[in-house]
Amino acid sequence: MAEVILHGIAKTFGDAAAVDDLSLTIKDGEFVVLLGPTGAGKTTTLRLIAGLERPDKGRVTIAGADVGRQSPAERDIAFVFQQYSLYPHLSVYDNLAFPLRSPARRLSSDEVDHRVREVARMVRIDHKLENRSTRLSGGEMQRVAIGRALVRRPAIYLMDEPLSSLDAKLRAELRLELKRIQKDLNSTLLYVTHDQVEAMTMADRIGILSEGRLIQVGTPREIYADPANLHVAARLGQPHINLLPVDLLPGASAPTGARTVGARTEHLEIATAGAANAEVDWIEHLGDQNHLHIRVEGHKIVTLADPYLSVKPGDRVSLTLKQPLYFGTDGERLR
Amino acid sequence: MTDAPSTIAERSAEVLVRSTPTVIARRVRGLSDRAIAWLFITPTIALLLAINIFPLIWAVYLSFTNFRANRPNAEITGVGLRNYQRVLNDPDIWIAMQTTAHFVFWTILLQTVIGFSLAYLIDRKFRGHAFWTTVILIPMMLSPAVVGNFWRFLYQPQIGLFNYIVSYFSGIPPSSFEMLGSVSLAPWAIIIVDTWMWTPYVMLICLAGLRSIPDYIYEAAEVDRASAWRQFWSITVPMALPFIMLAVLFRGIENFKMFDMVMLLTGGGPGSTTEVASITLKREAFESWLTGRSSAFAIILFVAVFGLANIYVKALNKVKQR
Ligand SMILES: Nc1ncnc2c1ncn2[C@@H]1O[C@H](COP(=O)(O)OP(=O)(O)OP(=O)(O)O)[C@@H](O)[C@H]1O
Ligand SMILES: [Mg+2]
Repeated sequence: MAEVILHGIAKTFGDAAAVDDLSLTIKDGEFVVLLGPTGAGKTTTLRLIAGLERPDKGRVTIAGADVGRQSPAERDIAFVFQQYSLYPHLSVYDNLAFPLRSPARRLSSDEVDHRVREVARMVRIDHKLENRSTRLSGGEMQRVAIGRALVRRPAIYLMDEPLSSLDAKLRAELRLELKRIQKDLNSTLLYVTHDQVEAMTMADRIGILSEGRLIQVGTPREIYADPANLHVAARLGQPHINLLPVDLLPGASAPTGARTVGARTEHLEIATAGAANAEVDWIEHLGDQNHLHIRVEGHKIVTLADPYLSVKPGDRVSLTLKQPLYFGTDGERLR
Repeated sequence: MTDAPSTIAERSAEVLVRSTPTVIARRVRGLSDRAIAWLFITPTIALLLAINIFPLIWAVYLSFTNFRANRPNAEITGVGLRNYQRVLNDPDIWIAMQTTAHFVFWTILLQTVIGFSLAYLIDRKFRGHAFWTTVILIPMMLSPAVVGNFWRFLYQPQIGLFNYIVSYFSGIPPSSFEMLGSVSLAPWAIIIVDTWMWTPYVMLICLAGLRSIPDYIYEAAEVDRASAWRQFWSITVPMALPFIMLAVLFRGIENFKMFDMVMLLTGGGPGSTTEVASITLKREAFESWLTGRSSAFAIILFVAVFGLANIYVKALNKVKQR
């Protein structure tokens, strides 16, 4: 386990910047999640740390040492690839054992066997150990890929959307499991996803990436409650944050220069009594909660609602803002 | 047929029918799909029957007779299995089979090792690899007749480039050995030419195999700290193996019947040192005119190749399915 620091790294492909002047410190034993839309440069960032790609600018240090000249093998990292990258001609068992059988490690075959079986149990693949790795479902392959990283104790684990092809239930289970493993081992982990729930639940800190730039880094609460700009605000929250003109709803006390109000569920107060300024469009029933679609002067607002709130489509309600977020014309947050 | 045709296929079929002269069109329209399908493949099947299947069956028939093609009017009498017995008990034929096996073994070994090594080098994508690929492929594109005559010159003891180069590196005088005329060297002369001509083919198939291994597998192995040596043996070789085996199969079948190169270079000589099975067969059939017996020999060869190839393909499929 070690501290990993990125000093202003940049990488361009052709003339498109995949990663642009990115600086980030991943502390020893920290779980950092990079969150960003597709094409944001998440994979490229991981590949730069792994040494599979050379940065055009900047430096990467692992445990205080500049690794610029080191090959991926020398850097002591474990990587879970987005496209699984299993060894197709090997069984699940041999895939998991592959990193351990490196001559440099000098593990006895008993030790290898013990580690492989332990990890296979962790990622719930122990019943398929003898299968060829090509004869697995996408989710099973992904678990083998995670397992192949977890058998090692590297300086840092790099994981590229490792849970993306699992079903919701298994994803929730493995999310907890992965977090637990990381805590138990006190390992350093950089995790890439575009799933905000994964980011919010697992991360010690989240980095929001957009077009190769790191826009904001902070704890999940900070990122959620105190976003630096519109982009960050729009990435978090379910349903999505509502972006409205400043003077649309009452209750705002906008600072000067504010152009947009960002209102999530907790920033909106719905009342069935009082002067109505909005109309319920329709209600999405998600089971434990409802998404309320409301229309105000041609603007649509989506908010979570108590399932017991007695409104129906066509009802008029009164909508008030409660300490919402304000953004200027450039999209930056105004406080 | 009042419904408007819906799929593209139906629509284009409709267009085709419209542009066909009405007499034919009327007839074709009346036919079922199956009948039309037969209409299309019948000429091909007829041709195949005439030039492939019929001679095969005819040869099977002749192999049980004493027919001689230089005496077409003589009475044909059945001899049962005697032709087969004769062939299998003929020591010369067994020697020819051994010679063939020797050729097949060495050509496959050399072509696979050299072909795979070349493919491995070219797959490194060094500068100009496309150019070198083309250069390497040239021998394969030449006609065997050209290659045969060309190498006869190269092997010329007095003026041949081959002898000259060997003497340059070894110090032996160039006219002191005859590649094609010496009993010990002639088999190797043929193996060298066949290897020169067909290694590019093996290389091409191996290259396809190497290119089919995705980069990210190597990246994963690199991160997993596998050395280049281990990557080669635990990833490159097993994943390219089905392709290598396919190349071996093609070359094996081809060289089992090797005829043209031997005929052009040595004609089976000196003595019978390079007399492979196909040359013996040709002698029996068209020099001794033992048509019945040579048919039996041909069928034995066919069954042997077919059987071996089948066993091999089974193994190949097993490797592929791993
Ligand atoms: N090898 C490459 N050659 C050229 N362009 C590349 C290469 N790898 C990445 N890019 C470009 O760099 C940008 C960032 O790619 P990257 O793979 O890092 O995105 P990502 O954030 O991982 O996206 P996703 O969530 O879809 O995996 C993209 O615009 C992509 O087209
Ligand atoms: Mg990616």
